[in-house]
Amino acid sequence: MLNYSNVIENDKSYPGLQMREIKPVMKLIIRGKKRQFLSAVGKSLNLLLPNEANTSSRSDQLTALWLSPDEWMIFSNEILKSDNNNYDVEKLLNKNICKTNLGAVTDVTDQFVLINLKGDKIFDLFETGSPFNFNDFKSKKGLVTQTILTKIDIIVHNQDINDVNLFVRRSFSDHLFSWMNDSASRL
Amino acid sequence: MFLINCPFCGEREQSEFKAGGEAHIVRPKQPTELSDDQWAEYLFMRKNIKGIQFERWNHIHGCRKWFNMVRDTSNDEIKAVYKMGEKPPVK
Repeated sequence: MLNYSNVIENDKSYPGLQMREIKPVMKLIIRGKKRQFLSAVGKSLNLLLPNEANTSSRSDQLTALWLSPDEWMIFSNEILKSDNNNYDVEKLLNKNICKTNLGAVTDVTDQFVLINLKGDKIFDLFETGSPFNFNDFKSKKGLVTQTILTKIDIIVHNQDINDVNLFVRRSFSDHLFSWMNDSASRL
Repeated sequence: MFLINCPFCGEREQSEFKAGGEAHIVRPKQPTELSDDQWAEYLFMRKNIKGIQFERWNHIHGCRKWFNMVRDTSNDEIKAVYKMGEKPPVK
C-alpha cells in the first residue's frame, strides 16, 4: 500500500444510508482468455472465477468480480495490515499466470477507491444519477455491474442485501463522494 | 435515448456506449499498392445511409468490448446485435 491519505475523510450517515471508505484492501485486475488460465487461477487462489456475466464469486479471503468475458477484479475481503505493495496473492498469480503466458495481472489497489454503502436507501441514491436499471439487481446478492453514476465510471458489487461495494477511480472519488453526500441529503 | 442489448452484459442504456462507425470495412491487403484516392476511399468514405446500417459499437462504460449492431438510422430501431467476427444475422 502506497502512503496515500484517505480520499474520504469522514464516514457519512443519513437516514437509511451509511457511506465509508474501506482501506487498505488489495485489488487486482486479471485478464485471460484460455481455459488453462481459468483453471490456473482457480488452483492458485482456491477460487473459481465467475463465468456468468455480471456475477461474482467469493472465498474466505477473496472476492472475484466479473468485469468482462476476459477480465475480472479480485479484492481481499478483509482489511490488510501490511504497509507495502507486496501481496502474496499477486506474487502467486504472477508466477502461475504471467510467467506461463496465460494472462495478465495488474495491481490496482491504489487506482480504485472502495466505498462501502449500507442501508435501504442505497439504490434510491444510485437512481438519482445512473442510467442502470437496479430493479432486479438490488434483490440478488452477489451481482456486479459496471455503469456510470453522475457520468463517472463505477463498479457496483451487491455484496449483501442493503450492503453494496462501490469501486471508483481515485481521481474521481472525491468528487463522486461529495456528489453522493449532496444527493443523499435530499433523498 | 434507447436501450442497447450488449452481447456480453445485457440490456443497458445508450449513454453507456460509444458508436464506432460503419462495420465490416475490410482493410486492403496491400495498402502500398493503392492510389491515394483508393486509400482515402478506404480510410474516410462511409455510407451514412438513411435506413438499415451495420455499425460497430463499444460498451465503453461497461465491459469495454466492441460488438456489431444492425440499426435503422431513420427510427433508431435495433434489428440485431452480434459479436465481432460473427456474420450479420439479418441482411
